[in-house]
Amino acid sequence: MKKLDLKVKDYPELAVSWEKTLINKTGTWRTFYPKYFPKTPPCNYYCPANENIQKYIALTLKGALEEAYLTILEKNPFPSITGRVCYHPCETGCNRSNFDESIAIHMIERFLGDYGLNFVEPKRKSEKIDNNKKVAIIGSGPSGLSCAYYLLLNGIKVTILEREEDAGGILFYGIPSYRLPKEILKSEIEKLTKRGAKFIFKKELGKDFSLVDLTKEYDAVFLAIGAQIEQELGIPNEEAKGVLMGLDFLKEVNLKRKIKNFGKNVLVIGGGNTAIDCARVALRKGAKVKIIYRRTKEEMPAVKEEVEEAIKEGVEIIFLTAPVKIIKNKRGEVRGLECVKMKLSGEVDETGRRKPVPIRNSNFIIKGDTIIKAIGERVDLSILPKEIIGKKTIFADEYGKTNMEKVFAGGDCVTGPKTVVEAIAYGRKSAYLILHYLKNYEIPKKESFNLVSYENLNLYYFEKQKRIEENKLPINKRKRNFKEIITAVSDQEIRYEASRCFSCGVCNNCDNCYVFCPDLAILKKNGEYEILYDYCKGCGVCAHECPRNVISMFFEEEK
Amino acid sequence: MRWQFANDIKEYMNQGHLACPGCGGAYAMRLALKALGKNTIVVIPACCWSIIDGPFPLHCLEVPVYHTAFETAAVVASGIRAALDIKGKTDIEVLAFAGDGGTLDIGIQALSAACERNEKIIYACYDNEAYMNTGIQRSSATPYGAWTTTTPRENFKKERKKNISEIIAAHRIPYVATASIGFPDDLILKFKKAKEVKGTAFIHIFAPCPTGWRMAPELMIKISQLAVDCKIFPLYEVFDGVKYNINYQPKNIPVKEYLRLQGRFSHLTEKEIETIQKEVDDNWEILIKKTRI
Repeated sequence: MKKLDLKVKDYPELAVSWEKTLINKTGTWRTFYPKYFPKTPPCNYYCPANENIQKYIALTLKGALEEAYLTILEKNPFPSITGRVCYHPCETGCNRSNFDESIAIHMIERFLGDYGLNFVEPKRKSEKIDNNKKVAIIGSGPSGLSCAYYLLLNGIKVTILEREEDAGGILFYGIPSYRLPKEILKSEIEKLTKRGAKFIFKKELGKDFSLVDLTKEYDAVFLAIGAQIEQELGIPNEEAKGVLMGLDFLKEVNLKRKIKNFGKNVLVIGGGNTAIDCARVALRKGAKVKIIYRRTKEEMPAVKEEVEEAIKEGVEIIFLTAPVKIIKNKRGEVRGLECVKMKLSGEVDETGRRKPVPIRNSNFIIKGDTIIKAIGERVDLSILPKEIIGKKTIFADEYGKTNMEKVFAGGDCVTGPKTVVEAIAYGRKSAYLILHYLKNYEIPKKESFNLVSYENLNLYYFEKQKRIEENKLPINKRKRNFKEIITAVSDQEIRYEASRCFSCGVCNNCDNCYVFCPDLAILKKNGEYEILYDYCKGCGVCAHECPRNVISMFFEEEK
Repeated sequence: MRWQFANDIKEYMNQGHLACPGCGGAYAMRLALKALGKNTIVVIPACCWSIIDGPFPLHCLEVPVYHTAFETAAVVASGIRAALDIKGKTDIEVLAFAGDGGTLDIGIQALSAACERNEKIIYACYDNEAYMNTGIQRSSATPYGAWTTTTPRENFKKERKKNISEIIAAHRIPYVATASIGFPDDLILKFKKAKEVKGTAFIHIFAPCPTGWRMAPELMIKISQLAVDCKIFPLYEVFDGVKYNINYQPKNIPVKEYLRLQGRFSHLTEKEIETIQKEVDDNWEILIKKTRI
């Protein structure tokens, strides 16, 4: 390199430059600087289990199914189950829903879950069972199983006590097999058994053992008994023959037992998922079904798609109607239901919905021989010691810590009736608290979220693409059987769906920042980018042209 | 979107050049050289690029650059071409890279002459629609309605933009194309095509100037995409002066969206915007008709 401080006599006759402009550190011009600043995609944010959805979709797209599956397992051990039964708030939050249609995340999750059923995960070092640490889990529902999985993963000896003769809790006894086939559940539980989970069946809390006994025998106890008791209607003649409890009815059907007092005209009372399940199951049992619900379709707590399917299958829903009295004959058998018409008042109740009020003198009778009560479940508190009981449920913090030494609790028995995925998330969190308690593990820090909104995306680089459709069993083939309604889709379709993902807030190497930089201040090396702050003038083009809002501009502080 | 050419990691330009942040002209050169490669000699007349390249003894391109007088880009390029041909170095490409002033106003006679002789050169005009380097004075490339320091607000430019691509196409040279920096792959492909033709190739590049257009520098690419999608600057090629080919179907966005992002158009009334919209639509119709010849 020649010196720059030349004497006049040294200058050539014809001016020929010899020095590169690299000595101009144009970075000093900058007022704002760009930075790769990955953010949280809304799917991850809205997932109750905080699955890293964007990541597993990206891996699916690459064809790295094994990795994709393992990514889900970090937050949810049973994707084959949630892929089927979860109400997928991830899709509601999906930014793509504002553009064309949201990504069919649940279908990708289900695909990976089914892939995982035949896949043996490599064992980790931490899985070596430490015989000195034993945990009893009461209840084998979603939160119990989830807690068991994360404890096993970290070498804790797990015993699951279940009062029924099969594992799965609500997954087995509550959810009908046209939504979640029993084989799928069985395979997941088998995988858990292979990991070392020990199940003890037909042992019921309060009858065969007490909580205090367990605390003596085990190092910790996780209560995951769910919310299993159907609430009473509080109207006359509830003891009549032909009045059934929602969950009991589903359980009997799931056990393929003959149901006593089950007639041809079924009235289901309630608007939640249990009510919809009961109605669709009763339909498959050959009955005519009417759902009686006191508000309108808008306020129904049941999953929208399920409601639509029920209607398509032939369930009639009578809205704005509340039961007043059960009508029975001399033999005590149900003959109908006296109802009253309701209207929504301006008042809003604690659930944020408008309160229904009865319309005077609007009573009428709906004929029917079977009534299924499904107005909500509650926790059976009678079998629990007083000190851990809160208002209506077990009292525990968000990690499941109760007021009793060695006792933890999670899932519906703490939160009241919620969803499968929330129970799974609770089970996982509690598992980490138990690990902290037993092995002094660090509790995973709460993730901080920096959500990517639709407005922050640069949509110029996306084209409208149709979402894949679910393959559904035709309505006429659903009668009198419990075959799974939604059938699997092909690899190609899943790959296509994965390719629709915006990858909000997470770089997927689209090269836009590299391509568009007018100052060549972004280097691309082995699929990674580096900003040359010596030269970046801070124009902000990279941040603006990043389709997924990964790059942010920050004020250059005075140094 | 997947890149075809633009994400190639070969670069023929260095960091530390003196363009303003968000310079469309600087970026246009980066893309042009990606297409043409190492075996290129660049001729730069007086324009922004005579500054961008750096003061003596600095130089930001990895290829030889010949700085020349304002009106002489095409003729100097022709001369270098002749010299190379005599030496038998026919594999070296000569690229004249001039601004809109040096092309549409001051350099047009030299350019016209070179086209008439069908010199084997590529002439690229990076059009930022005014004399930006000297302080934003109007040029014949400044569009109707634009503010410049010589057409201040109330006296904004009333004349329409000169259609240079049509003028050059009328010379019946083998290749004329318009390109926008908002479409890097398209731009690179056009330079690659230009390299292959036997004779003069002219490429008119839409290259925004955030400084002169009174807009945020991060909008450089967006505005270049909008100009195309509003049909203000359609992307097309003309082969042998007659055969038209439209490269990109615009998304049909109202010109208002394009105009409203730029301070130089902020004074325009709804009526004036309508006038622009009508002119743009008419021009598009004419272009469509030309493709049917």
